Amino acid sequence: MVLSTFGSTAGLPAGPASGGFGGGIGDGAADRTGGAIRGTDAAAAPAPRLKSAVDAGSAAYRANVGAHRALVAELRAKLAAAALGGGEKARARHTSRGKLLPRDRVDTLLDPGSPFLELCPLAADGLYDGAAPAAGVIAGIGRVAGREVVVVANDATVKGGTYYPMTVKKHLRAQEVALENRLPCIYLVDSGGAFLPMQDEVFPDRDHFGRIFYNQARLSAAGIPQIAAVLGSCTAGGAYVPAMSDQAVIVRNQGTIFLGGPPLVKAATGEVVTAEELGGGELHSKTSGVTDHLAEDDAHALSIVRTIVAGLGPRAAQPWPLAPVEPPAVDPAGLYGAVPVDPRTPYDVREVIARLVDGSRFAEFKAEYGTTLVTGFAKIHGHPVGIVANNGVLFAESALKGAHFIELCDQRGIPLLFLQNITGFMVGRQYEAGGIAKHGAKMVTAVACTRVPKLTVVIGGSYGAGNYSMCGRAYSPRFLWMWPGAKISVMGGEQAASVLATVRRDQLEAQGGEWPAEAEDEFKRPVREQYERQGNAYYATARLWDDGVIDPLDTRTALGLALTACANAPLAEPRPYGVFRM
Amino acid sequence: MFDTVLVANRGEIALRVIRTLRRLGVRSVAVHSDADADAPHVRAADLAVRLGPADRSDSSAAETYLRTDQILAAARRTGAQAVHPGYGFLAENPGFARACAEAGLAFIGPPPGAVELMGDKINAKDAVRVAGVPVVPGSQGGSPSDADLTRAAAEIGYPVLLKPSAGGGGKGMRLVRDPADLPAELAAARRVARTAFGDDTLLLERWVDRPRHIEVQVLADTHGRTVHLGERECSLQRRHQKLIEEAPSVLLNPETRAAMGEAAVRAAEACGYTGAGTVEFIVPGLDPDRPTPTGVLDFFFMEMNTRLQVEHPVTELAIAVGADTAHPRRLDLVEWQLRIAAGEPLPFEQDDISFLGHAVEARICAEDADRDFLPTGGRILHLAEPGGEGIRVDSGVATGTEIGSLYDPMLAKVIAYGPDRPTALRRLRAALAETDILGVTTNTGFLRRLLAHPEVVAGRLDTGLVERSVQQTPVLLAAPTEHADPAAATGDGVSTVELLYVAAALARQLSLSPTAAPGGWADPFSLPSGWRLGGEAAWTAHHLRLPGRDPVTVRVRPSTAEILAEGTDNPSDQTPDLQIRLDDGPIRRARAELAGHRLQITVDGLRTTFTHTTDDAPFQRVTWLGLDGDAWAVHPYDPVADRTAAGATQHGALTAPMPGTVTVVKAAVGEQVKRGQALLVLEAMKMEHVIAAPYDGTVSELRAAAGGTVAMDELLAVVTAFEDATGSGTEAAAAAGTSSEVAS
Repeated sequence: MVLSTFGSTAGLPAGPASGGFGGGIGDGAADRTGGAIRGTDAAAAPAPRLKSAVDAGSAAYRANVGAHRALVAELRAKLAAAALGGGEKARARHTSRGKLLPRDRVDTLLDPGSPFLELCPLAADGLYDGAAPAAGVIAGIGRVAGREVVVVANDATVKGGTYYPMTVKKHLRAQEVALENRLPCIYLVDSGGAFLPMQDEVFPDRDHFGRIFYNQARLSAAGIPQIAAVLGSCTAGGAYVPAMSDQAVIVRNQGTIFLGGPPLVKAATGEVVTAEELGGGELHSKTSGVTDHLAEDDAHALSIVRTIVAGLGPRAAQPWPLAPVEPPAVDPAGLYGAVPVDPRTPYDVREVIARLVDGSRFAEFKAEYGTTLVTGFAKIHGHPVGIVANNGVLFAESALKGAHFIELCDQRGIPLLFLQNITGFMVGRQYEAGGIAKHGAKMVTAVACTRVPKLTVVIGGSYGAGNYSMCGRAYSPRFLWMWPGAKISVMGGEQAASVLATVRRDQLEAQGGEWPAEAEDEFKRPVREQYERQGNAYYATARLWDDGVIDPLDTRTALGLALTACANAPLAEPRPYGVFRM
Repeated sequence: MFDTVLVANRGEIALRVIRTLRRLGVRSVAVHSDADADAPHVRAADLAVRLGPADRSDSSAAETYLRTDQILAAARRTGAQAVHPGYGFLAENPGFARACAEAGLAFIGPPPGAVELMGDKINAKDAVRVAGVPVVPGSQGGSPSDADLTRAAAEIGYPVLLKPSAGGGGKGMRLVRDPADLPAELAAARRVARTAFGDDTLLLERWVDRPRHIEVQVLADTHGRTVHLGERECSLQRRHQKLIEEAPSVLLNPETRAAMGEAAVRAAEACGYTGAGTVEFIVPGLDPDRPTPTGVLDFFFMEMNTRLQVEHPVTELAIAVGADTAHPRRLDLVEWQLRIAAGEPLPFEQDDISFLGHAVEARICAEDADRDFLPTGGRILHLAEPGGEGIRVDSGVATGTEIGSLYDPMLAKVIAYGPDRPTALRRLRAALAETDILGVTTNTGFLRRLLAHPEVVAGRLDTGLVERSVQQTPVLLAAPTEHADPAAATGDGVSTVELLYVAAALARQLSLSPTAAPGGWADPFSLPSGWRLGGEAAWTAHHLRLPGRDPVTVRVRPSTAEILAEGTDNPSDQTPDLQIRLDDGPIRRARAELAGHRLQITVDGLRTTFTHTTDDAPFQRVTWLGLDGDAWAVHPYDPVADRTAAGATQHGALTAPMPGTVTVVKAAVGEQVKRGQALLVLEAMKMEHVIAAPYDGTVSELRAAAGGTVAMDELLAVVTAFEDATGSGTEAAAAAGTSSEVAS
């Protein structure tokens, strides 16, 4: 069945069954004022509150708390180390030139006291011999002059802010976030351009350095403002960041923009020229016109950027109604104790939902059917969300339920939140015969084709096709985070080792050989180790398979900020799904 | 009694009079200038009439409250039968009193003749002397010889003051304490007088040591009865402006009190006085080295004020009729002014009147005690007046009142009553601590400290005490921000200045929280959480500056790090602990709560409650903080604006804004120029462009000559800043000059 009939519903107001969200239907109509929703009391039919069943005094609870604290302490240590950028000496050298450190630049740019949803802070963690903490660039979503914007700030203390492969990937990821959520981009440029020793992994391919400027042009064409502040070098390809921007600021006696720096000029033409003469702020602001505003220092430049953002046109109206925010009724601090860190230990995912959603209220859908997948409506920081959460292995019913629920949210324009803790789809003859592949495909189709924003948090395991149906990175969730104990791989290390060992044993035995148990163990160990290493959240986040590893206690805040960022982009019109195999 | 009375005044006294009119059921008419159109006294009155020129707005006193014709016209328009002049303005203007009578209006005050007589200081003294009232003894007129003056000095008693007859302003005056010194001093005084004024005629009068200003309130009806209502001591003055008044005076013994009262009644009778008036005396203070004299002390007539005094409330609170009866009655002096003007006789006699308790008044003025009492101004952003047992406030202002320089700087009077002087002083100090006036700097805190001054507490007052103390013991009277703080010296505590910065930063941090309408959505990006991944919130920097001090940066952030350590913290707790850091100082724990105008802050466990408000600027609001009667304006400070302003002036190289011809050169190399001063004029595109000095400095380069043509961006002149010949200004100007040459 091709759901082309969606077209006939396009003109109808969207709204969930729980009421109060509908537009223009009698007294229950939500009254939209300044992006806020008021006067829903008359139609209020609040969802029931979830209750926690965990025993906070139990040994298991205490053990979970201890294990989570250790994981979070490791996460914080890694974040703190990455936040220092290129180390004490490079930082001292940077500040001695009167420049602000990149994080101070971001803090100064943002509205006072406002939060910053940083993206991929542990990018390149463990890569390049640890030479590029945070991949040498800070990216994230923050608020400037009342507008949510994407900020990309080079960290010149990391190899002069040059672009490693992961730096490029992170920069492109930030631009993708800007495009999907229609967020203005602010580039705080202080970079020597491509990291030359790795030019083959940085320069030529589609998603390499050139894509940054391609994106700038396309973003600008889409009406998404591109603003650059040149706070340091802006060399070679980097020169295009300000040049491709709608508006650019440069700091006098500090920012430089040129296609070829003084050494290259000397080599090419013999001309001897200083960096400031070649591409300084005075030149570009007074003569070349490459920049539009001349600033005295970093703080001045950032203040000019704030003024520019304040003058941008109005943002789009929020695409869904917003309700008053209610903290969870079940204390979120209990997440550490309620959730086992070992993904193999089963627990009720509603313990997580109760600690993430407003008022711990959850309007569950199909609670009695396909029970290994929990679906239902809730609110997070006032945003409506449809939650799809694993509560065990996926069966055909769970997949059908998931596909149905995703369609519901799509029709009603409600963002989706996937809480991944999935070993995969059920295997075995009975299930294959029952068509689990085609049922799983329906859910994958629904996830792939829905028009609503999708957010994914990997709270446990993310294995195999479960990753696909639960909106893994390949399914373009607007944002994807992992908890520090989460695992991601095509299958579990033990299963992979067993599969490979079974194939090997079959081969050996077919050749008439023997394989002693010790030898099999010796064969399986490196496989297990490889999966253990590569399935680790930090391995994943270093490669930008996600937008960051987050403390479970930060999940609600991150989701609230992300949904608020998502609300900058209007919803697409309803559109047909791919063919659902029936 | 009248049924409509016009109050020809403004401010607290107009309100004070209107209050009594309302209590008596008399219709009140206010008059007002344009500036006072919405003033409290206008709102309080039953009717109000605008004063001032018809064709334009002029709120000066001369065009409004001093305009006899307009006030009489206002009385006609409103059917007023009487005019109460208050104090100041037309209160002691005999012409006005007469004009009222001619217009058929009752002037609520003495007959014009009494006003006139007492308005002439010399005639007044002569008149009361004849009536047997002591005046400061001195030599008679003419040209007394040295022998005459020596004889007069012996009669008058020492110390004596020699004054040049033709002089003024204190020049040539000589104080003589010992008769043996008199001949030499006479010679010296004559010499100075002759040189300075060309006339060596000398006067001589008794010098009053440790002078105290003590005045007696009198009431006289139109039926021949004059009584006095005891004294008020007003010795706490600064430059002849009274600050604190009290009744009774601690100096007077019953005999002196009676003698001064009788003298005051005689003075009033001598000029045919009716209504309420005040006879001012100067009284020598006691010599601390000598035993307290018994009997009647010396006192000398100074002048008579033929009106209601500012400080009349202390008499109203401290005096009672029938104090020894079961039902002592206080007097409303305005009521008695009205009754007397309406022809009613006084129904009590002198013997019925006595003191019952003690009253002290403090005058709150818009002046800055820490800046040599300069007048201040502004808009009152928040006003809370004290109350409670024994406290009376006569105020002329409200929240929103603009305080300018047009009228008197007195805003309000706080009066405390107690059964005894220590109680009254204590209550007044407490009341001043509760007087919150934000938006306009006042002397409230100063008055409060003055009331705790040991000499004031001991009652050892004289008219020079305040000025002496300000000079000699500033630590007793200056605001806590104006002197070294013992708390800061230990390095452990927080000085008042630091506390103010911390409080202002915390208030600003609180103000970052969105004020979502009930039921509205709270945008998580708008919460001032400083939230960052990694568990440690970002600092929010507040750049602040107290006037006259270097700017500071106060950083604030929620202390979220504890969540991991304690594990049980509820992150949804609405009053989180904050961390706060002033410049490079220690990180302190703080909490802050703002409820209405009360800002409670806790810093390292010590809680302080400020009064708080901000001005209503669209950006960069000024934070006002009040504590114990003192108020401070903590200004936001924009380091970027400050630096870029400095940057702009650093680039002192002036270049041609477009190609053109230099028509005039108005400066030369080496010339000192003022900011904005034209250096040369450039004609380009049929327009004249004036090239002006960007700041005060010296013209260090001049490359243009009249008639010469210049290219765009061509360097025309360089101005080097004055102050820093070796500083950054010069270097930057030189650098800018170089780059301009590159550009052109």
